[in-house]
Amino acid sequence: MSTMAMKGKGEVRLRERFISSNQWFTLSAILFIFILFVWPFVRLIWMSVTADGSFTLAHFSQIFQDAQFWKMFRRTLWIVVWATLGALLLGFVYAYVIAYTDVRGKKVMQLLLMMPFIVPSYILTIGWTQFAQLFQINLYSIGGIIFVLMISHFPLVFLFTLTMLQRIPLELEQAVRVSGGNQWTVLKQVTFPLALPGLVGGGLLAFLTNLDNFGIPAFLGIPAHITVLSTAIYQEVVGFGPGAFSRAAALSAILAGIALVGYTLQNLILKNKQHISETAPVVTTPRIPLGKKKIYVELILWSSVLLLTIVPLLVLVKTSVIKVYGLPFRFENLTLSHYQFLLQDTDKVWNSLQTSGMFAVITVALTIIIGTALAYVRSRSNTLTSRWMEGMITIPYALPGIVLALSMILAWMEPLPGWNPNIYGTGKILILAYFTRFLILQVKGSAVAFAQVSIDLEEAAQVSGASPFAKWKEILWPLVATGVSIGALFVALTTFTELTVSSLLWSSGTETVGVMIFNYEQAGYTTYTTAFSVIVLSLMASVALFVALLLRMKNKKRGGMIR
Amino acid sequence: MIQLQRVTKKFDETTALRDIDLTIEEGEFVAIVGPSGCGKTTLLRLLAGFTSPTSGEIRMDETILANASKVVPPEKRDIGLVFQKFALWPHMTVAEQIAFPLKHHRFLHQKRAFSSMDAKVESMLQLVGLSGYEKRMPHELSGGQQQRVAIARALAASPQLLLMDEPLSSLDAALRIELRDEIQTIHRTLQPSVVYVTHDQSEALAMADKIVVMKDGHIEQMGDPTSIYYHPATPFVATFVGKANILNGVWRGEHFYPYGHPSFYWVVPDISDAFKEAGQCPIRPEQLHLKRSGEGLRGIVENVSFQGREMYYTVRVGEQRLTIISSAPQMARIEEEIVVEWEGISNVTSSNRDKEFEDTNQARNIFK
Repeated sequence: MSTMAMKGKGEVRLRERFISSNQWFTLSAILFIFILFVWPFVRLIWMSVTADGSFTLAHFSQIFQDAQFWKMFRRTLWIVVWATLGALLLGFVYAYVIAYTDVRGKKVMQLLLMMPFIVPSYILTIGWTQFAQLFQINLYSIGGIIFVLMISHFPLVFLFTLTMLQRIPLELEQAVRVSGGNQWTVLKQVTFPLALPGLVGGGLLAFLTNLDNFGIPAFLGIPAHITVLSTAIYQEVVGFGPGAFSRAAALSAILAGIALVGYTLQNLILKNKQHISETAPVVTTPRIPLGKKKIYVELILWSSVLLLTIVPLLVLVKTSVIKVYGLPFRFENLTLSHYQFLLQDTDKVWNSLQTSGMFAVITVALTIIIGTALAYVRSRSNTLTSRWMEGMITIPYALPGIVLALSMILAWMEPLPGWNPNIYGTGKILILAYFTRFLILQVKGSAVAFAQVSIDLEEAAQVSGASPFAKWKEILWPLVATGVSIGALFVALTTFTELTVSSLLWSSGTETVGVMIFNYEQAGYTTYTTAFSVIVLSLMASVALFVALLLRMKNKKRGGMIR
Repeated sequence: MIQLQRVTKKFDETTALRDIDLTIEEGEFVAIVGPSGCGKTTLLRLLAGFTSPTSGEIRMDETILANASKVVPPEKRDIGLVFQKFALWPHMTVAEQIAFPLKHHRFLHQKRAFSSMDAKVESMLQLVGLSGYEKRMPHELSGGQQQRVAIARALAASPQLLLMDEPLSSLDAALRIELRDEIQTIHRTLQPSVVYVTHDQSEALAMADKIVVMKDGHIEQMGDPTSIYYHPATPFVATFVGKANILNGVWRGEHFYPYGHPSFYWVVPDISDAFKEAGQCPIRPEQLHLKRSGEGLRGIVENVSFQGREMYYTVRVGEQRLTIISSAPQMARIEEEIVVEWEGISNVTSSNRDKEFEDTNQARNIFK
């Protein structure tokens, strides 16, 4: 049967489910999603164009007339663009070498390059500042911000282009070779043009992430009085001057506008990309044997990967055990007293670990249920409604975190005139913000899992007489558990160490891990921040290891079958 | 007994099924054939309960399975289903796959009880020739073995109706024939009612008690394999099932004048009125023979393909290309001028003078 006909059949099935779904349920779900995920941004825009309840563009015109703003605006773009270009170059080179050559240990390397996804950028920043200090390099500068942003975000480009490169059919490249072209011609004529959409897509992703990032410019820029858009909004809100919220809202609208443009461009490009090679199989066999040069390439590759991923963390550990900051690294100067102080002499650290831990657990409990349900609906019915739902849920993640934070304040401080539901100023607003921001991560993670479970498997259970409950328990859940758990682990770790949203939404008693480290850093307690970072990293590693072991045990029972 | 009465299914604007009336007797093997998009899969999904009819009614014995207002969901129907792509659960062993319906199927208590779950699984595996494979995982089986497990799973709970959705089309040719024979044996042994959907007319001819030929959402013809093959009701059935050549010509009773030749005719009995009204005659490839000389249609061989037991010829006669199958060793070459004879009686009369025989020159050219 032709693929056309198969496609047609699929559509028939899907459309059906939409009609039979309960209209009321759908309607209330849409309303619920709109209020939680979209309404805050409507409030933000509203705030930026009103003064005393009437429409005005005064906030914007004030900002646009301010020479300081334009300086900051240009600086932001300068930093973001250079960091993006750097990440692109670095990401592509790594992806090309790992995808195409026969260097050894690719899997470990890939895993190491995933680290900056999990390790919060502010902890990486602390590590890099310590490392740079060894060579008397000052990272508290525009160049420093660019550098750390680039290092933090090139893995995005790397991962994005890696599968892209591996999907380029081997035959296309062999065709160039038999037609008389050398490896360089292949790169120029086939590899690069075909990888370009992926590269541009990855570049825009890096651009958005650089624009969104708050931790790096906050840790490196605020002490040196280098503000960018995200930190400017933060300072405006915490400065709490007259009209601060309106100005911050207007700045947020500008930042959100830039992000929206980047996001739209990215979607357009990725849509086109799918025509070329989204369905092509991934080829992992090496295409370029390096021969005698292999050992040198491996040496350079491995040392650079280790430098970029492990070394800053080792420096972090090193600084955390020095008696007094600045002393040379000798045995007699070593101490565990900083850890002792953090864990015994002050309960603030424990409290923040507990707070963040609890928030992470609640957020994961919410996202794993709602996100998985949404992912199921989305994977089984590609209707306009389900696409819209996903679109709305994406907004709080697609827009910069600082914009979300301000929007949450505006939306929940007094949702209706005269009604204060006591959400802002408590832990609830943090949970609400984490939930809205990270739900899409679980949806995407679970959707990948569901995409691998063909609808036939469900239908086979149904005709075997299984009730909906039995179908989920015995067929669906065992098949998606691994994918869903990995998504949930990612949400848990991201929530646990969140800084951007927390920095604006925390209140006394709900200091999170990120906020505590930020506060220590701003107060100049370098040894405490490093020791605290090490504690956080070890906790994260233990949780990840625990989940990995659980999954391994579960899959082992089934003879190592992972789907 | 399963009955469909005036079943219609619409998706938005398109009508997938129109006024389907069909009865499936107890123990009957019904094959539904048709090209893709003819509605056969929709019909199967209606029987399974994955979709509901827009109008009409589906009944199993006395219970209404579905009508416009009410649908019994798949898990509450006494059915089994074999999928095109096997649909084995990747996390379950062979034994667990077969035990699953034994644990969940709602109609088991009404039937002959089995002594133990294990014994039933074992007997099902024996039936499909996979004894000793209990502990295997699906990915450790070949395609043919996977489909055997799927058949055992679908039949484990002894459903009243077994649905099969192109169960052989994911397998290679040799395996298809082997499994086809086995499905027939299993059907004879267990005697379930079977609805077998396929686009391969040879499967339908080989296995079914009753063939339902579908086109554009309606039933084109229904009947036992021989009547469908030898007495197609419409040109579509003749070409789709019998792979017949459709010749244009003029009918006088049972006399067919190919291409409107005024005096040369074939005696072709038992042709349905649909053909006669359209001035067409279905002739299957094996009913035509090639000759070097003699009385018949003059043609030029355009292609010859050797198929082992038979030769397939494509012969151009006038403006039409005819397919001819002959069991003789190659007797004509490409570009050769030959004569095409019909296996039945052909005759020459005095010239007809009716208007219908107007294009005499061209017709005469064809006759030799």
